[in-house]
Amino acid sequence: MADNYEEMSCSEAKELLRKWRDDNERRSDEVVQIFDYCLADKVKKLGSERLIVLEQVFVAALDCGRIKLAEDCVRVLISEFPESLRIMKLKAMLLEALERYDDALDVLESIINKDETNAAARKRKIAILKAKGQISDAIRELCDYLRKFMSDQEAWHELCNLYMMEGDYSKAAFCMEEVLLHNPFSHLIHQRMGDIRYTMGGQDNIEIAKSYYAQAVKLNANNLRALYGLYLCCGHIVNSKAPVNKRKEAQKLSTWALKKISEITNDKLPRSTKSSKNSNQSNDIAALEAAFGNLDAKLN
Amino acid sequence: MAELLIDPNIRGWVFLPIVVITFLVGIIRHYVSNLISSTKKIELTQLQDSQAMIRARLLRENGKYLTPQSFAMRRHFFNNEESGYFKTQKRPPVTPNSSAMLTDLVKGNFINVLPMVVIGGWINWMFSGFVTTKVPFPLTLRFKPMLQRGVELQSLDASWVSSASWYFLNVFGLRNIYTLVLGENNAADQTQSMQDQMSLNAAGQMPQDPKQAFKNEWEALEITEYKNALHNVCDDLLVSVSEPMTNNIHH
Amino acid sequence: MSSNRVKTRETKSGEIIAYSESAVRQNLINVEYVKTSLASLAGCTAGILGLTGLLGFIFYLVSLLGFFGLLIVKTGSNWQKYFISRKSLLTNGFLGGLCTYTLFWTFIYGMVHVY
Repeated sequence: MADNYEEMSCSEAKELLRKWRDDNERRSDEVVQIFDYCLADKVKKLGSERLIVLEQVFVAALDCGRIKLAEDCVRVLISEFPESLRIMKLKAMLLEALERYDDALDVLESIINKDETNAAARKRKIAILKAKGQISDAIRELCDYLRKFMSDQEAWHELCNLYMMEGDYSKAAFCMEEVLLHNPFSHLIHQRMGDIRYTMGGQDNIEIAKSYYAQAVKLNANNLRALYGLYLCCGHIVNSKAPVNKRKEAQKLSTWALKKISEITNDKLPRSTKSSKNSNQSNDIAALEAAFGNLDAKLN
Repeated sequence: MAELLIDPNIRGWVFLPIVVITFLVGIIRHYVSNLISSTKKIELTQLQDSQAMIRARLLRENGKYLTPQSFAMRRHFFNNEESGYFKTQKRPPVTPNSSAMLTDLVKGNFINVLPMVVIGGWINWMFSGFVTTKVPFPLTLRFKPMLQRGVELQSLDASWVSSASWYFLNVFGLRNIYTLVLGENNAADQTQSMQDQMSLNAAGQMPQDPKQAFKNEWEALEITEYKNALHNVCDDLLVSVSEPMTNNIHH
Repeated sequence: MSSNRVKTRETKSGEIIAYSESAVRQNLINVEYVKTSLASLAGCTAGILGLTGLLGFIFYLVSLLGFFGLLIVKTGSNWQKYFISRKSLLTNGFLGGLCTYTLFWTFIYGMVHVY
């Protein structure tokens, strides 16, 4: 796909925006750019998609800090649907972006009063608490929310992150398990479980972490972080007071994991001189770092 | 080929119009129902119940990936005799007489049954008594009353179709065409929506009686046997060391 | 997030294969779309050709098998990447398709041959 959005025709831009909407891709930067170049003076020509495009652009504009653009969008939307709860939520988001948190909370509160099943408004309230840095309040609100909306895995994931910020790993593990129940085949979640258990420490937890890491590796053999975690867990078990056969097994597994790691990293960096052990290790670290960065982007 | 000669005017003024009318009525139904359908108001407790049910079902299905303690903890939350969710939450059965349900019912009738009766009656009145076409395959006499409604002729072969029956053939046969034209989940298909009406449970997230549903889920969860899926993972990995790993996730 | 639901199937060797449920459903919807088009087009063809009786039904089966064959050629050996069960591709929506086929067949046959 061409990066030059200037040359895009109106219908192409419309098509692209619709695709992103359907796939739930955020791509705020691109959305705003497309709007600026192709659609800004042709908003009226969008036909039946005009309002939904404006909503999309509004959120993207907030992401990019284009408050002026966002205000324009929301003004049109409000004049179209003065009563709509969906638009009121957008208004609250705008207030939030302007850091007028109390006003935003008022708006959200009135949405919830009108429609108490509105999950999005409740979540936004929690987001405001988080933005204000009141993590413990946010956790309390989120727990309250999850009591009502128990199968909202996004919220469980967020709660897990909040608990980790607070360093409460056993509760974070509980939340992650809930996410795992929703996605039993995601290697990233298994690996996250392993991370949390490993961080909690202790013989039992390391054992559990080991099996979660192993499952992650089984689901995706190229998951470097899980391989490294497996290696660390096994190393820990080898040096512990575990029964001999367990230690032996762990020894085997750790050599295998290490071999696998070096294989992958050598694949990724073919220029490395394989004879020199030093550069090999630095490559390992570089590859691991790359993998970690990748992972953060995927999880958040 | 046809042993019966039919006036070509019947083709132009009866045969074709029936097809066009049935098709267009289906399209109009789709848009009208879009217009007057209201989003169902859901009670918070109802939502909470359905989410709890989903969570319990997931626990049953995927609980094997948790540690034994975690699984037992969650089951305890749902099933404990004194404090379990399914034991303590007492919900009154949803009364189907609430006014919202009633308006829904009236609306449903308005969109589904009324056009069927009105258009069917109109077609019967307007185009009554025509033999319109012949199905290109032989049929037994059993089909005569079905296909020749409005034309009671003893000697007519069973494969000739009367106008009223041609309309009903269209109603059923165009069902798939609506999905083609209007996309999935359209409201044009009246046979489908009538089935929905029968079960009276259309688009209901939650079964009518939460108490019964809770009891079922409680039973299902109670007999779920915990089996740790992660127990043998390490051994599996060690076994597969010799053979190359394959990535078995398909997207 | 919920669009990434996963569906699983166990192969004979006991290996578990995970599918992205939304993708599989999308594939099935597309196949259904093609099948409806196929049924109506085949019905038109049969009507114009003036097929009667058993021949018409055989024509429907043949066109369905032809479509299935084309699908197999297109997906090649890795059909399991796209569909959970190959047999259901052939059998799903058979009766609905037959309904559409018969309607178009009768319609065009009536237009062309009866009058």
